[in-house]
Amino acid sequence: MISLSNVSKKFGNIAAVDKISFKAKEGDIIGFLGPNGAGKTTTMRLILGYLHTTSGTISVYRMSPVDNRIKVLKTIGYLPENNPLYQEMKVYEYLQFITDIKGGDNIDEIIDKVDLHEYIDTKIEHLSRGFKQRVGLAAALISDPKILILDEPTSGLDPIEQEKIRNLIKKIAKKKTIIFSTHILSEVEDVANRLIIINKGKIIYDKSKPKGKGSVEKLFKKLVK
Amino acid sequence: MFALYKKELNYYLNNPIGYIIVILFATFANFMFVKDIFLVGSASLRPFFTILPWLLMIFIPALTMRIFSEEKRVNSIEILLTLPISERQIVVSKFLALTTISFIGLFLTMGLAFSLSFLTTLYLPEIIIGYIGAILLSALFISISMLFSSLTKNQVIAFLGSAITLFLLILLSSDFFATSIPKFIQDTLIYFSPGYHLQNFAKGVVDLRSLVYFLSLTISFLFLTIIDLKKRE
Repeated sequence: MISLSNVSKKFGNIAAVDKISFKAKEGDIIGFLGPNGAGKTTTMRLILGYLHTTSGTISVYRMSPVDNRIKVLKTIGYLPENNPLYQEMKVYEYLQFITDIKGGDNIDEIIDKVDLHEYIDTKIEHLSRGFKQRVGLAAALISDPKILILDEPTSGLDPIEQEKIRNLIKKIAKKKTIIFSTHILSEVEDVANRLIIINKGKIIYDKSKPKGKGSVEKLFKKLVK
Repeated sequence: MFALYKKELNYYLNNPIGYIIVILFATFANFMFVKDIFLVGSASLRPFFTILPWLLMIFIPALTMRIFSEEKRVNSIEILLTLPISERQIVVSKFLALTTISFIGLFLTMGLAFSLSFLTTLYLPEIIIGYIGAILLSALFISISMLFSSLTKNQVIAFLGSAITLFLLILLSSDFFATSIPKFIQDTLIYFSPGYHLQNFAKGVVDLRSLVYFLSLTISFLFLTIIDLKKRE
């Protein structure tokens, strides 16, 4: 489904991502961990074709995200880091805009799922951070994509909102491939079934999630010094 | 593609900034023309088409400066470039939305032609062809300003960069250079000036060279913007 082989990305002389390889298949919920600047966001942007690799190959459904950009992007729902949105638009208007470009007819179902009913006529700039995050997530779910890439979906939210987003991810995870990055280690324990740890552009752990409470934190601290 | 066109158009229609720019343009355009109308001594729209490039030199960059630089500043460009829409469609949609807004601005100056028709008999095809030239001129200015907007996150730099470029382009056909450079250079330079080509349209003549000038330059600048957007870094 998603395959990265020896992928590197350099910005000038600095390698943000250094010869990483992994595959993701249907049903994988991958927790993508790493300290700030480890290369998580860059890797996600490379999979989307938003950035181009310096070397190595990426394929999504055996297509290159750069050469078959449009076809690949139709299969992916993406929530970018810091969730940029068109603030001047109303919630429904924004979701309709994304639907018009991506296709799909599940807009009302998504509004149900993320519980945005009360705010569909509110301008996005007037929403709280938690609701903005829900709008971003709703936009990623439009056209029911097979792959979801979520860059820090719970960042900056209060614990209750975090739990709601986590539950939502678990609810929609069936028959999808989900890659999500986070700094909250317990979140990986709760949601993911596979763990990838990246540090200084290299993958240092890629296995199923270790069992037991606190085990992810222990592993992370051991590997990332 | 229509979705993005509609979104961009709505931005200007749901936002005071769009109205302010369009109404200010129409007010200035009407005022600049009317103030000298009885001094010129001929009831024609040609003086209007002479001042038009100077006005658009300010108003088009003001309208266009946000189109990409704002998206880059708040990073909403990442949303756009991770949606299944090509860079070409993005640039063309935004270009058409801006051209529509500038068309509205030009439409608001048509009262001038209407008022003049009370003073004299106007030759309608001349007016229509003149306005077609004005739309082509706006489209060219928009494409230049869009390139500057895609090159920077800073709207002020985008505005200044495009306004200065447009100023220099217009200057090529003015008398400013006429005394200081040899005539054959002046004759060559003038061919690159949008003001010179607009005057061809203002005469009521569709000169193929002027048409090719506007279309080829506009497409070239749009093409450069697409390349810049594809670069990503």
